[in-house]
Order: sequence, then structure tokens, then C-alpha cells
Amino acid sequence: MSECSVDEYNVCGVLVHAHNDQLDQVKKLLEQQDGVEVHAVTENGRLIVTVENNKRKTVGDRIMGFYEVPGVLSAAMIYQYSDNDLDVDELEIDSAKPKNIKPNKTNPSEIETSKVRMSA
Amino acid sequence: MSQPENNTSKMSRRDFVKTNAIAATATAAGITIPGIKETLAASQASSDKIRWDKAPCRFCGTGCSVLVGTQGGKIVATQGDPDAPVNKGLNCIKGYFLSKIMYGKDRLTKPLLRKTNGQYDKEGEFTEVSWDEAFDIMAVKWKEAMKNDMAANVGKPADKLTSTVGMFGSGQWTIFEGYAASKLMKAGFRSNHIDPNARHCMASAVGGFMRAFGSDEPMGCYDDLEHADAFVLWGSNMAEMHPILWTRITDTRLTKPGCEVHVLSTFEHRCFDLGDNNMVFTPQTDLAILNYIANYIVQNKAYDENFINKHTNFKKTPTDIGYGLRPEHELEKKKTGTGGKLSSITFEEYAKSIKGYTLDYAHEISGVPKANLLRLAKLYADPTKKITSLWTMGFNQHTRGVWANGLIYNVHLLTGKISQPGNGPFSLTGQPSACGTAREVGTFSHRLPADYVVKKKEHRDLAEKIWELPEGTIPGKPGYHAVLQNRMLKDSKLNVYWVMCNNNVQAAANLNEETMPGYRNPDNFIVTSDPYPTVTAMASDLILPTAMWTEKEGAYGNAERRTQFWRQQVNAPGEAKSDLWQLMEFSKRFKVEDVWPTDLIAKSPQYKGKTLFNVLFENGFVNQFKQQVVTDDRGNTYANDEMEAFGFYPQKGLFEEYRRFQQEGPKKGHEQAPFDTYHKVRGLRWPVINGKETLWRYAEGYDPYVKKGEGIRFYGNKDGRANIITAPYEAAAESPDKEYDLWLSTGRVLEHWHSGSMTRRVPELYRAFPDAVVFMHPDDAKKRGLRRGMTAKIISRRGEVECMVETRGRNRPPVGLVFVPWFDAGRLINKVTLDATDPLSKETDYKKCAIKIEKVA
Repeated sequence: MSECSVDEYNVCGVLVHAHNDQLDQVKKLLEQQDGVEVHAVTENGRLIVTVENNKRKTVGDRIMGFYEVPGVLSAAMIYQYSDNDLDVDELEIDSAKPKNIKPNKTNPSEIETSKVRMSA
Repeated sequence: MSQPENNTSKMSRRDFVKTNAIAATATAAGITIPGIKETLAASQASSDKIRWDKAPCRFCGTGCSVLVGTQGGKIVATQGDPDAPVNKGLNCIKGYFLSKIMYGKDRLTKPLLRKTNGQYDKEGEFTEVSWDEAFDIMAVKWKEAMKNDMAANVGKPADKLTSTVGMFGSGQWTIFEGYAASKLMKAGFRSNHIDPNARHCMASAVGGFMRAFGSDEPMGCYDDLEHADAFVLWGSNMAEMHPILWTRITDTRLTKPGCEVHVLSTFEHRCFDLGDNNMVFTPQTDLAILNYIANYIVQNKAYDENFINKHTNFKKTPTDIGYGLRPEHELEKKKTGTGGKLSSITFEEYAKSIKGYTLDYAHEISGVPKANLLRLAKLYADPTKKITSLWTMGFNQHTRGVWANGLIYNVHLLTGKISQPGNGPFSLTGQPSACGTAREVGTFSHRLPADYVVKKKEHRDLAEKIWELPEGTIPGKPGYHAVLQNRMLKDSKLNVYWVMCNNNVQAAANLNEETMPGYRNPDNFIVTSDPYPTVTAMASDLILPTAMWTEKEGAYGNAERRTQFWRQQVNAPGEAKSDLWQLMEFSKRFKVEDVWPTDLIAKSPQYKGKTLFNVLFENGFVNQFKQQVVTDDRGNTYANDEMEAFGFYPQKGLFEEYRRFQQEGPKKGHEQAPFDTYHKVRGLRWPVINGKETLWRYAEGYDPYVKKGEGIRFYGNKDGRANIITAPYEAAAESPDKEYDLWLSTGRVLEHWHSGSMTRRVPELYRAFPDAVVFMHPDDAKKRGLRRGMTAKIISRRGEVECMVETRGRNRPPVGLVFVPWFDAGRLINKVTLDATDPLSKETDYKKCAIKIEKVA
């Protein structure tokens, strides 16, 4: 089996479900893991989490580990990006081009998917 | 995370992709995180280089839609499709790694033939050959076999024809590939010895549907996962095998007041973490528990009398029907009944037949505490509770699998809890197109497209009319099913055999005694088409390198009757070609004179001198759809290698021809939309009538075939009624005894899909679960001098395999049972498993056989 290059940058959004009475504990245990951030916790058991890799552990390894966290009922991935060119290839955003900024959009799903949405 | 800055001249792409990740996750959870959306909008230009397009996931039967990101001719990213009703932007760990499955280092890129000194030799070494040479040797072997077949069939009517040509196909074939394979085999080669690997996973479900409702596939849909008040899992570890559907159930359970989850299994697994009523039962006793629930409903008059009177019939089925083993097996000699011919009984006779299944008896035989059983029975009996029952291989891979499927239908039919939002039995599927391809287009040995069957003359007539074949072309005798194919290879009754899109040497039970002797039998020539050198490929004589997933245009149908299409995103590596190209191109090697007798050709003299390609694919219908540029509505264009090769649009032609079976035959209710529609939508659930999909079949207001005032009509059966079929508990084929003192159950783990030929080539998934282990109770380990991490030898009457012992973690078997996953090509558990099948569905029981475990010194 081939080994994954640890120089690759990987990031993933994860929707985690946990029992309501264990939410705080689950949040704490997830945040203790290097490269894991909890960005929001909703009522009814949802946690908005991102996972990044580092030299020691890949995103996949970390997410698989979520199931070992007591109280975690399910973990579903939302977004994946991996690219080994990221370190050298910086993205140019020209602030002189305000037409790229659409601050009036209010629905995050519209923005997120506008580049990929297909009409039904 | 740090607050994103919009006005800096440079933003690291890492920040950008991370922001994307947060926004997408928040969207899926239905919340807004401040600051994210502006950053995203500002950085949209960055993704211009990536082309995004939709495709259904390559793995399980859930049918999640993913957005596939392509850059520089390579798939670089995938994400859950936010517009997909199935997964609403979510993805499981396998779907998350989809972009890596095509890039394993050992991808096959050239045909490989076993040769010695430049000549084909069954004992030779795999040697690279051209496609021409590969098809040359195949054609020689196929023609030789069919010459013998024609000699053996002289003067025989259609329903007595025999063949030595076989094919083992797949619930992972695209719809077009399955249809083309079925047509090539049944019409071209005149052999019904084609079966899909779906025989191993869904055949019992098919049998259950046909017997009860006269029409295959569920009445409900995934919308039930939000509508139901309670979920009951009967032999399905959804948390690992259908993770996205499990996320939906978890969400409903956590957000809907009073919602409850009941879990039944032969060992504890991850679903038990959410379960409100968890039950571990002795293997095979699910039959008794199901009958207990029905009996409770009858005894307490909790049945819906009006529903029963209007919409059901009561039936009984022959019992003591054996275990689908070879006829000379002791167990087969002892049986007193055969088959599944139903006979009518009254409600009273039905009630009497289940009277013995009391709470005491059910508890005694199953080992489940009475309080848990009673709670489950009361749930089903409660008229105010909407219940969705779910199952997968626990019911299907069962020597009484058709019965088990039927017994849960009994419970739902008695209470009228069926075909309504949130109320219904739901058979989950293991493969991405077990429904759409394997079951629907006629790849089973007894079937024709759209639920028609080979043994009925009028069904063959319909197929021969649509396919413009001379009358009597299609053989009328059902062919060899999956398990029988391996036995017939061993017995030299099948001599040329093409395995496509599956890994049956790793999957089929009893590898040592049946499969391997069949593949290596010197009388046989075995061809395997696969992207990777699987154990099946390595056991073959010729390997054909295959394009996979989005390296071709495709279509799958998931467990809720949803048909989903995708466009070709990238090119296949080297000389790898799609299964569709392989099937169609190979058909050019045969003149009708090579495969059909003169009296058959005489009925259609226009076919004289034509090739099978001319007759089957260049037939004026399939090839009427001209070569075109494939585009999306965003202006992107896509390749279609098969259209390029054949000069017409074969996917479209085959699909439109398949639709004629839905439109022109007597059976209604299986209609799909025109080809072009599916490239624009996130799938549609059939029947699709006037562009509208059907969510709940058989129900007025949802299903256009049910007239106003009928309420419910099970129109798959002529009288519009469903069958409640009584069937008793009968013992498993092989139970533990003094020597072989443990039950063995096999199955999957979250990280790997089926035999692992794709997922084990993703480094992260491989590392997460590198080797199969034997999950066992610590007391069982201790008794044998074993501890966690030590190596154990698992021994049955058929073979043995060594695995590491695991006494903790996700699966916690009771004393007396062990669980071993089957994904590991280095630890082939199918050397140990028994090839006992349900005599009705011919599906193997992979969940039960007797083994012993020894410490490896």
C-alpha cells in the first residue's frame, strides 16, 4: 500500500452528532485533539467541526478517531480538499476588484454552492 | 479560527479552503457563522481552475450525490452535494476519500494473459497483451463453447436449451452496462447463466417483495427517515454501513420528541449507542421474534381489520425446504418440502399458525429479555406510532431470507403501517446500483429487463419484439445463479466465464471447496475485468483493465428507487476501457452464424452474415442517437469515450431501449424519465409519470396508479392485494456443536467497502483498518488462552484463517459468537464460511456457520 505524503494539506468540515447531555464533554474532547476546531454547537446535538492534518496525523486518521470519543453518535464529512501544491502556491486576491465580493448575500448555502450549483 | 480578512491583498489558499469547510458544514447543519460568507465570495476566483460536476458515490446503496472537482485531468476533490436530497451535503468517510480510489499505484492499464513461451497457458505467467490479442483468445474460447452448445441443443425447444457460457456481473455496473451485458448474454450468446453479485446481497429482498407485493423494491423512500416516530433495525448496522442515512436517523431521534430507536442484532455494534431498546438475539431466532410480534398483534386485536379485509390475502408456504447446498449434502437429503408455492389460508388459520410464538417462547429461543421483546411488540401494536423498519444483510443473508423479509411485511400489513410517510418496511441496499442495475435491467439468471422473467413465454416474446430477435432466441430456462455458477465451474458444466465489476473469489463462500477448484479447472477459461489486481483477477486466465466510476458516463439506481446519472469527468489510465466498451466491442467478434443455429437465423434472414454488434447495438434503435458534445448548463464540455469509439451515443440508446420495456409491456409502475432529464436533476424516484417522481408507492395521493377512493392498491398483484405469508422458525444450516463451538458472523466495517479493492488503496482508509480482526467476547478469548492483540486461528469444516483478536471497540459480540469482516484479501474469511443458501432466493447465509478458535503458538 502506498503511503500518504504528510506534506499534503488536507482540511475537512465535519458535522458531529452527540447526545444532548454529552455535548459539552464531546466538544471538550474534540478540541483537545491537535488540528481539530469546534466552530459552533447547536441545540439538539450538532457540532460544526473542522479537521486539519499535520505532520503526524492525517485528516482521515483523525475523523476515524472521532468514533472513539464517548458520546459521538455519528460524524459526517462535508468538504474535502487536498493539494500538495498549497505550500508554494499562494492564492492572489486583488482587493481592487470589489466585484468579487458579494456581501449582500445572506444565505450561506447560496454562496457556498453558487460556483457548483446546477439548475434542476 | 481567526477572523478572515477581506481587504488583504493575499489570502492563503489554506485559509480559503478551511473557510469553505466551515461554511459547508454550517450549511448542512442549517446555521450561519458570521464572517464566513464574505470570505467565500471574495475568494471565488480561486476555484475557477476546478471544474465541479455531480456524480452519485461509487460505494453503497444509499446513493449520496457528490460534487466531483476536476483539475488538470485529475479528480482533486469531492464534497457532499448540498443540492442532493439524499445526503444534503453530507458524506461518509469513504465518500470523503472518493477522489483517491482511482489512483491506486497498482491500477491495471493493459490486458494480461497467462502465457508460457508466448502462448496462452492456464498455468502460465500473466503477460501484457494488446486488446486485440485478448479478444482473439476470448473469441476462440467462446466460439468453441458455443459450437458445443449448439450441437447439444439440436432440436430442443427454447425452454430446454443449455449453455456452457457464463457471466458474473454486478450491482456496481452502470445501468447501461448491466443492460448491455444482459442483452449480449440472453439474446446474443443465448445463455441465461448471467447473475450479478447482488445475488449475495439482495436476492432475498427481491424474493420477499415479489411474493408479498408482486413488484420489486420498497414502497417508501428516505423521506420516511424524518417522518417516522420510531425506527427498528432488524439486522442492519447502519451506523457503519449506511452512515449518512444513520446521520439522518440520529438527527430525527435527537430532535423529535418521543422518537425512539430499537436495535436488533446478534452482537452489539455502534447503532446500540443511539438505541433506546437494544436486543442481542441468538442467530436465526429473528424468525421467532417476528412471529411473536405478529402473534402479539393478533392476540391483542391490535390489527387493522379494515386494512386486512380490503388489502391483503393470507397464504402459507412449504416448510422444511433445505439449505440450498449440493443435492448430495446430508441436509438436503433430509428435507421434506420444496420451493415456495403459496396456498391460500384464512385469517383464523394464520392466527393459529403463529399461536405458539408466545413471549415466553420468543424469549427462551432468542435469549432477549422479555421486557425488551414486549416493548418492541407494543410499539408495533400502537396505532399512534409511525414506524419505519430497516434491514440489510441480517435478513437477506439468511437461509430463510425470503421468509424473514416476508415476516416483517406481515407485521406492517397486519397493522396497516405501510405506504404512508414514516410508516413502512424499508429494505436497504448494499451496492450503488443493486436496484437500478442488477435488479431492474434483468441481470439475474431468471430475469429480463423491468421485472419480466425468462420462464414466461409472453415475457420472452416481449423482449424478442423490442430487441427485434427471431422468435425462440431467448432461452426459457432460468440459468445458473451465483452459487451454482461456482459449483458448475468446478463440475465443468460452465467452461467460459466472464467476471465483471466484482471480486467473487473473495466474496463467494467456501473458497477452498467450490470457487478455487472451479476457476483453476483446466476445462475452463476465466476472464476478469477489473481496475485492480484483485484475488479474482489473479485467479483468472485473462485480466482486462477497466475504467471505473467517473472515467465513463454512468447511471446508478439507489435503494429508494432513485435513478442518478453522471458525466465522464476524466480519462481512464493507459488502455483501461469501460465495461460497456468491452461488452460492445467483444460482440463484434461474433457472426450470428457463430452463435445461432441455422433454423433460428432462417426466421430472420436479414441477420445473415451480420455480427452480434450489428444485431444487438447497431440495430437501428440503440444507434439512432447520434454522436454529440456532452455539455452541462454552465458551459463545460465532457468526454464520452464510448460515443467516440462507436460513433453514436450508446448510453442514451441503451437507456431509451430499456425504457421501452417499461412502456410497452403489461407491467406498469416502473417508468423512468427520458435519458436527458437525468443529467439535469439530482435523481428521480420511479415510477416517473409526466415528469413527476413517486415517493410512496401503492398509496392514493402519492402513486398515480392508485385511483381516487382506493386508498391503497398493491397493484403489482392482479387482485391489488398484498400477501401475508405465514412461515415458521427453522434452525440454521450449521449451528455450533461440541467441536465447532462458536457462531461466525461476517460483514463489513465503516472504513472499507465490500472486498476492499478500492478502499484499501486509499492510504488513510487502509491505515484506519489495515487488517481484518476477529471481534470476540473477552471471556471467549480467555477460555482459549487468548488476549486482545494475539493471533487466533479460525477453523471451520471447510478451511481456516488467522486473525488478530479484538475484544474491545466498535463490535462487542456476546459469548458464543465472533465477527470477522471480509474486506481483507490477506485474511480470506470465505475459506471458512459455508455456501448454504436460501433455497428460494439462492442467497448465501454469510451470517451463520459453526467454527472453533485456537491459539496460534
